[in-house]
Amino acid sequence: MTAQLPGWWRMCAIGIWAAAGALIAWSLWSVAARAPVEAVMGPVQKIVYIHVPSAIVTLLAFGITFAAGIAYLATKQWIWDAVGAASCEIGMVFATVVMVTGPLWARSAWNTWWTWEPRLTTFFILWILYMGYHLVRASIRSTSRRTVSAIMGVVFFVNLPIVWKSVEWWRGSLHPRNVTMTGEMREILLLSMAAWLVFYVAVLERRLRLEWMREAALSEADAAASAAVPLKGVTA
Amino acid sequence: MTLFAVAAKDLKLHARDARYLATLVLFSAALVLILSVAFGPIFRDPAREASATVWAALFFAGILGLTRALDLEGESGGGDALRLTGSDPYALYLGKTLANFLLLAGVFVLVLPLTAIFFDVGDLRVLPALLGVAGLALIGYAAWGTLFAALARGLKARELLLSVLLFPSLVPLWIGAVKLTHALWDGGSIEPVRDWVKVMAAMDVLGLALAAWLYELLQEAGE
Amino acid sequence: MILRAESIAKRFEDRIVLHAASLRLEPGEIVLLSGANGSGKTTLARILATLLQPDRGEIQLDGVPVSKRRSAARRAIGFATHVPLLYLGLTPMENLAFFGELSGVAAARERAAALLQRLKMDGFADMPLVHFSRGMLQRVVLSRALLGDPPILILDEPYAGLDDEGSATLNALLAEARLRGAATILIAHDRDRAAPIVTRACLLRDGRIEEAP
Repeated sequence: MTAQLPGWWRMCAIGIWAAAGALIAWSLWSVAARAPVEAVMGPVQKIVYIHVPSAIVTLLAFGITFAAGIAYLATKQWIWDAVGAASCEIGMVFATVVMVTGPLWARSAWNTWWTWEPRLTTFFILWILYMGYHLVRASIRSTSRRTVSAIMGVVFFVNLPIVWKSVEWWRGSLHPRNVTMTGEMREILLLSMAAWLVFYVAVLERRLRLEWMREAALSEADAAASAAVPLKGVTA
Repeated sequence: MTLFAVAAKDLKLHARDARYLATLVLFSAALVLILSVAFGPIFRDPAREASATVWAALFFAGILGLTRALDLEGESGGGDALRLTGSDPYALYLGKTLANFLLLAGVFVLVLPLTAIFFDVGDLRVLPALLGVAGLALIGYAAWGTLFAALARGLKARELLLSVLLFPSLVPLWIGAVKLTHALWDGGSIEPVRDWVKVMAAMDVLGLALAAWLYELLQEAGE
Repeated sequence: MILRAESIAKRFEDRIVLHAASLRLEPGEIVLLSGANGSGKTTLARILATLLQPDRGEIQLDGVPVSKRRSAARRAIGFATHVPLLYLGLTPMENLAFFGELSGVAAARERAAALLQRLKMDGFADMPLVHFSRGMLQRVVLSRALLGDPPILILDEPYAGLDDEGSATLNALLAEARLRGAATILIAHDRDRAAPIVTRACLLRDGRIEEAP
């Protein structure tokens, strides 16, 4: 495999980054200038335009890690491991955004930074679990890291619905169930979601590109080394 | 049978390490003592405080036990030797899970009366039900714990990673165990919280099933 | 049984340890594999013993890839390395009986007793291994490897810690195994101790196996 990415990939990458940039700019401007200020909470309410999309992207990212994990276990192709790990990294970043913006919003809405209610608790657990994913992945030096990561990606995701249901059962929900917004607010929210989703794809592409180049470099080194040493008296 | 041979071997190894067993016992007992001092001497809600104590003690004792079991396999290559016997990986897994379960059950048998005495709760009539709850919780803990231990083996921060991974994943088990224990010690009936039994049983089955699929993969994913 | 390693490649993180190591081991052979420190001998040994997966290439036993019949392959291989592969909290007899039972070795206890006696460890059969010296432990390690009379023996530095008498006993045991038709690969630094029984010598260099002069 070569270090040169195929032409169509690079074209798409440029396209995606352009789209991401445009959408983010547009959504940020909309949030700042166009979005109506909410009556009760004031400007702080606008955090929801970052918070909700980040949560959606987080779940999507970890879902992709789950799917990639299954794909890797089935096919053993390194690209699935790369997709899973990259997606998980990006998911962590967005998850952290959720964990930071949430309390900021909560302080204003519920007069408390944190509460052990289902959605928050489950999300916190998710954050810890996937942090564990990265800790484990970083500790394993060899290619078996791929199998272990795939397994973690699958097991953690499978567990989440159960954890979510259990905590909901246990506590009763305080967090707004569905985001009910209408009109312009809704439109801007959807715009923000689109923007951050495209951003996720763009960053994923970058990350995958890095993995590709790394794999290519290693294959080249391997091939070069194999060619350099003359084959003499090999015990066949 | 492979399963029982492996379990017997693990238990034998634990039994021969007096220092480790003493640590386990003292640690669990100390936790119960400290929490009873913290919540007492007049307990506001003894059933609740006691049930929290029991399961906190069991959780930490479990981590100690699981990492110790891991170390036994790692320190002189016992784990690799097990793979080399060509035994069915799931049988190896079940043997270890059984040993871990029995170890945890031993800790439970110690912690339960201590807690009952210090917090002045409990009633022999609910003992069978309580043992049932403990069985559900500890089977799940052993099943998932053994699986995650295989994942964390060979890693430097084993105990940390094991707690970090295990506790969040088993939240349904912990909530269920505490709620059921509380209900039993509070009124003697689990009617209002009966559904938790189903949740815990589901976790147990899920853990054992996931291991059936994944344990061999984890075992072979070497260094 | 014929062991065949076909173009084994292995890398750790960014370091390539083995490039295209190939080897063929026939019944009745005792092959000595030597190489400099860090040349990948132990990695290769672990791969041959099926404990480690190569990145490329495969190991075959009688033409069948070991990945297809892992359990049977592992039972056909006796492996010893610098890691004891034993439980230090158990006695030699307990260890051997346990591993023998799991490996499906017939009359494991009797066989274990015989080996321990041969290697002069029968007097210590009921002492936990944690109290053993290096040389004593090595004798038990070798007992475990030889327990099932496996057709393939992969021994990584088997003479380490052994005194002259121990080395001689090991050589005798290997010669007997050879007569039984077993194929052995010895990975060792010092060629002197193994010299009396070796039939062929190879060198691991630059991630490849070469025939030694």
